[in-house]
Amino acid sequence: MQIKAIGCEPLQLRRVHLGNSQRLDVYRANGGYEALKKVLNGMSPDDVINEVKKSALRGRGGAGFPTGMKWSFVPKDSPKAKYVVCNADESEPGTFKDRYLMERDPHMLIEGMLIAGYALASKTGYIYTRGEYKYLIDIMDLALEEARAAGLVGKNILGTDFSCDIFTHTGAGAYICGEETALLSSLEGFRGHPRMKPPFPAVSGLYSSPTVVNNVETLTAVPDIINMGGEAYQKLGTEKSGGTKLWSVSGHVNLPGVYELPMGYDDMEKFIMEDCGGMLNGKQLKAVIPGGSSVYIMRADQIIGKDVRMDYEGLVAAGSSVGSGGFIVMDETVDVFESTKNLTEFYKHESCGWCTPCREGTDWLVKVFKRIADGDGRPGDAQLMLDLCDNIEGKSFCPLGDAASWPIQSAIKRFPEDFRKRLVNTE
Amino acid sequence: MSELINITINDKAFEVPKGARLIDVCRDKGFDIPSFCYYSDLALQASCRMCLVRIEKMPKLQTSCTIICTDGMVVTTQSEEIEKAQRGMTEFLLANHPLDCPVCDRGGECELQEMTFDWGGLEERFTEKKNYAAERYLSPMVANDPQRCILCKRCTRVCDEWMGEDAIEAGGRGAHTVIGTYMGWLDCSQCGNCIEVCPTGTLLDGTYRHQTRPWELSQTISTCNFCSDGCQMSLGTRGGELKRVVARDRYVNGINGEFLCVKGRFGHPFVNHEDRIRTPLIRYKKGGKLIPTTWDEAIRHVAGKLDAIANDHGRNAVGVVGSPRLTNESLYVLHKFATELVGTENFTTTDAFSLRSFFANLGGPLATHRDIRHAKTIVLIGGEPEELQPFTGKQVRQAVRNGGAKLVVINSVRIRLVEQAAQFLHVRSGSEESIVLALAEAGSDSLAAQKAGIEASQIAAVRDLVANSAGDVVVMFGGEIGADAQAVLAQLTASLTKPEGARILLHPLPLYNNSVGAHDMGMDSGLAAVQMLDAAGGEIKALYMAGGFLPSQLEGREDALSKLDFLVVQELFQNETTAHADVVLPAASYAEQDGTFTNNDGLVQRVRQSIDPLHQSKPDWVITAQLAAELGLDFGYQMSASSVFREIGEKIPGYAGMRYPVLKDESNPVQAKHQISSDPVASQLSALRQRVENLPDTGEKNYTTIRVGHELFKIGGLTDKVPQFHLLASGNPRPETTRVSPLYQITVDGSIAKASVSGD
Amino acid sequence: MSTPVKIQPLSQPVELNVAPATFSPAVEAEIDRHLAKYPVARSAILPLMFIVQRERGYLDPAGVLYLANRLNLRITDIWEVATFYSMINTQAVGKYHIQVCKTLSCKIRGAGTITEHCAKKFGIKVGETTADGRFTLSEVECLGSCGTAPMFQLNFDYHEDLTPEKVDQILDALP
Ligand SMILES: Cc1cc2nc3c(=O)[nH]c(=O)nc-3n(C[C@H](O)[C@H](O)[C@H](O)COP(=O)(O)O)c2cc1C
Ligand code: SF4
Ligand code: FES
Repeated sequence: MQIKAIGCEPLQLRRVHLGNSQRLDVYRANGGYEALKKVLNGMSPDDVINEVKKSALRGRGGAGFPTGMKWSFVPKDSPKAKYVVCNADESEPGTFKDRYLMERDPHMLIEGMLIAGYALASKTGYIYTRGEYKYLIDIMDLALEEARAAGLVGKNILGTDFSCDIFTHTGAGAYICGEETALLSSLEGFRGHPRMKPPFPAVSGLYSSPTVVNNVETLTAVPDIINMGGEAYQKLGTEKSGGTKLWSVSGHVNLPGVYELPMGYDDMEKFIMEDCGGMLNGKQLKAVIPGGSSVYIMRADQIIGKDVRMDYEGLVAAGSSVGSGGFIVMDETVDVFESTKNLTEFYKHESCGWCTPCREGTDWLVKVFKRIADGDGRPGDAQLMLDLCDNIEGKSFCPLGDAASWPIQSAIKRFPEDFRKRLVNTE
Repeated sequence: MSELINITINDKAFEVPKGARLIDVCRDKGFDIPSFCYYSDLALQASCRMCLVRIEKMPKLQTSCTIICTDGMVVTTQSEEIEKAQRGMTEFLLANHPLDCPVCDRGGECELQEMTFDWGGLEERFTEKKNYAAERYLSPMVANDPQRCILCKRCTRVCDEWMGEDAIEAGGRGAHTVIGTYMGWLDCSQCGNCIEVCPTGTLLDGTYRHQTRPWELSQTISTCNFCSDGCQMSLGTRGGELKRVVARDRYVNGINGEFLCVKGRFGHPFVNHEDRIRTPLIRYKKGGKLIPTTWDEAIRHVAGKLDAIANDHGRNAVGVVGSPRLTNESLYVLHKFATELVGTENFTTTDAFSLRSFFANLGGPLATHRDIRHAKTIVLIGGEPEELQPFTGKQVRQAVRNGGAKLVVINSVRIRLVEQAAQFLHVRSGSEESIVLALAEAGSDSLAAQKAGIEASQIAAVRDLVANSAGDVVVMFGGEIGADAQAVLAQLTASLTKPEGARILLHPLPLYNNSVGAHDMGMDSGLAAVQMLDAAGGEIKALYMAGGFLPSQLEGREDALSKLDFLVVQELFQNETTAHADVVLPAASYAEQDGTFTNNDGLVQRVRQSIDPLHQSKPDWVITAQLAAELGLDFGYQMSASSVFREIGEKIPGYAGMRYPVLKDESNPVQAKHQISSDPVASQLSALRQRVENLPDTGEKNYTTIRVGHELFKIGGLTDKVPQFHLLASGNPRPETTRVSPLYQITVDGSIAKASVSGD
Repeated sequence: MSTPVKIQPLSQPVELNVAPATFSPAVEAEIDRHLAKYPVARSAILPLMFIVQRERGYLDPAGVLYLANRLNLRITDIWEVATFYSMINTQAVGKYHIQVCKTLSCKIRGAGTITEHCAKKFGIKVGETTADGRFTLSEVECLGSCGTAPMFQLNFDYHEDLTPEKVDQILDALP
């Protein structure tokens, strides 16, 4: 398992290889909590938000929404309590970057949340971590205790009048709780069903108070943005996608792992063939899902010799998207029908059941996949699946429905042969 | 009238009120929008995704149930794109649906079935194996076929928002989501509203399984004959049998919408019960048997006896008693019989308590249930509507939950509505009246507080709440409030300070479907039923009764009836009273006659004949009229209830001008005009002060937790005939298996049937 | 901010006539610490469910009743939440719960062989528990170990880059 930066100085991964990197003293000895100091001594909340805006930081959770803008939606004048919630539910298949950030550098997340808390006048933060990551919750709790003891979390932080406490919270096995409004329902102790938007969490979120939900990687980027200044951070990446991005690489490469690349890293082919150690057992590249299971699958020939730029715009141009940066590499041995079936089973299992199209649609699609896999494929099935996806996409209550249809639509479109060979007439 | 904005629907321009919901507007303007999960006045769900429309400048289709109209909005409700999406949703819903309409009790009344039918041309593309789920019972009343569920969650929302019970919920996740309860047994008030609002055959009337097909039933709109809320309902009858009762909005559209309680919905089987009294019966000698006879013989016999006794002992020796369950028509004729024909002063009703003093001093209009839903402050003194007037309970709950009303509960026990209360004054039992006193004269705060065992500041706080109410104030009271306190309470409209423009409305909580009507028809003479019993054998020698005494009234007076020279009872069933009767006459139930009930809003609502009178039974007023004729006075009604009611419209001031045609639309009921008085109540006030001063100011408070159903499930004369109620009364035990009705598994031993009676 | 140990009168399943579970002062204190994190007690429902599960093996009726009392919720509230989350067990599971990740990245790196190996090893199918109640074998969705596939989670512990040999070492070493 590799954890390293390519094409740039390690930023988020700066400390991960230090001994005891999760300890407060190590963190501080390596520039930790300097940004917090800087913020508390002389920056106004608006200054902070402006720096984040300048940094062109986009949410790393999958939606890629500009973080600075999101923060500016929080009504400053609201008398209600305001909350900062860290989305550490990391359940998107192929994604495991947040896990290593929290495991190796928990204080970076705490510092990021404190700065967000300051910018949004929030006195309370919650870290919603997927229940399976229990050991990470223990690590975070230790780090939080350290920080509390050092006066970095809790009342009058660093002797200022800024107070903000942070708590961990556990999920219990539900991918949908990564969706920010479902996460909030879950954090309030309910079933993890998404909520209607509007109102958006920034206006009415946790306990119907203004709430900002950010991914781990988004928040851990904040200290560096403050330290180096928004502009400098943005310049690490491209104009619209600032800074660096963590990619979780898995599948048929020799060196899977977490890689930090500058936004706009200019060659996906090189990334796979060299940086990630090339294809496992010298097999041929067949397909890549670059942004976690919920994005379009790409054919090798959309990548080989195409200089695919790895940032939000570049990947859209190449026919997929960054998503959560869960980079799944598949070689010639993979049957895309099988891989798509596998993902559809995932979405069926994780559909919260609230709305008709996602609940019934994913169930139906899995049944069709199973039937075809059992050798009872029919010529009309590809068309049927596409039509079912069309009835889900854009009709579902939350984006999970869309996320479930995109892999199928792109797979059938881009790997028709893997489907066609199964859809023979059984009569 | 709120501000208007312009919107365009399907190229037509409309002016609509600002803030209107798009789905409502479209439907109001005649554009049909399919939907399952949307249900007005329930929390938004937006999960069925049927109500999709296209709105200009918005990405993808939008759910019209979640859209508030904005000025200049351009909407399309019909297009290829929209129809494909909506057909797609229906197809999804049908995928795992068993499609077993032929054996479904909801067939012909199912919204899913209708929608599919309306689309037409639906090819079934789902050829996979369906997710099977077995039928089961959730309680004696509620049957459940989970596989038919479309998860619109109307049921879970009414259970929570209407009933405040949250007894039924969605468990599981994704395609395995299932509506149910922990361990699969439903412990709740069994209102069955979840059944009513279910658009499919998922939740079913457990007492109606496979009885008839819905379309074979003839529907008759009538008024419930249990509590004083007067819910409108549709009686489903076939072949002279009352098969089921619903409030389904396709048949009936009354004050209660689709709401009913366990009694209204499931209490009806008494009507066709085999124990109904079939013929007139005469007991020729005391201690002898009741012997079937003809109507002519019975009427002649009764007339002769009453005449003789009146002659020998004077007119007051004949007592006349009517049940507050009877129609206004029967009570009016009974009153006329007592006063004009017999000329006795000894007449009354068997009601549990009298509202005479309240109405005599009424200082303002009665609150309708609509007023209650939209009130901003509600003061509930005594009573327990959620068990005794469930629809009032629901309106109060929704006023608080959906309307932001502030509720004050003044009670000696922590009734369930306390969960919604902004203030709970937990008073010593029997000290409720002291709060009425304090509300009327601030000077008595400390006295009242001391007697009630609360802080004086709590009472002041109630007064403030009223004074600063954001809208109308409703004051409700139960049977704990006696005559003097009723007078004072009825004048709170004057004595309480209220904000500009807000009204103070009053809402009595009597127990019976026609308690108010019985008062209006003059039968509430102020004499308590028990006083009649105590005078039995003394001043009173004969009783002519339409409806027997309550067991609670006979308690400790077991021999009173046997002291009478002559007792005539018109009844549906044999009971403690008929056991002593010399003549028993078979009366027709509410389902077998025309008439009216007056509810606790003062609304005069129709009772309509749904089946012919069973056996030889007759409506009570018909019997009374025949008896009068036999005694030489022809009331001249040509046997038509409407002619009786016409006379009521002429003789009873509050009912002036009323005729059946005026009452024909249950969706806008007519309120009786009760006389408003502003006469001072000084004497009652000082009497009340005396009563309060004499109250003990020590004594433990009652901390028992109220279990849902503790009043609703008590067996009464009518629910006694419904086996399911005996299961509920005995704690709703979970049967061996939930696959078959508990009725076939648990035999209810007769002793349970003897549980005491209240409210029913 | 602990809530009164009082059962809401409503919706208490009639046949749930078990006494609420009880816990040691240490556990109660742990529960109080969780409740103290939130302005609303109900927010602690998942953390508390994990504790009840840890203490009692799974979320049994007594545990459900305890939670209803402690959080002042109705039993249906506990039930609807418990059945939504895949990590909350309302049925007993083995002492050791082997949860093999079956999602794409693990699958294409050989998750299937790991599952088969475990199944053969204990002679049980996926979803079954060994007769001695020691092992339960499940297939679960992505656990965030895609880079170290194949893997399984043994109760709460991650075991990654698995091979059949490694699986034997791990499972045979268990007490
Ligand atoms: C079905 C679904 C699952 C999601 N899962 C996650 C997740 O595991 N982690 C995460 O950070 N964001 C997830 N998101 C995105 C969140 O909804 C939200 O956009 C994000 O947490 C916002 O933080 P960011 O702006 O920092 O990215 C998910 C979204 C959807 C629709
Ligand atoms: S699309 Fe619907 S069913 Fe699927 S997760 Fe979102 S809300 Fe739940
Ligand atoms: S009615 Fe709008 S989604 Fe169901």
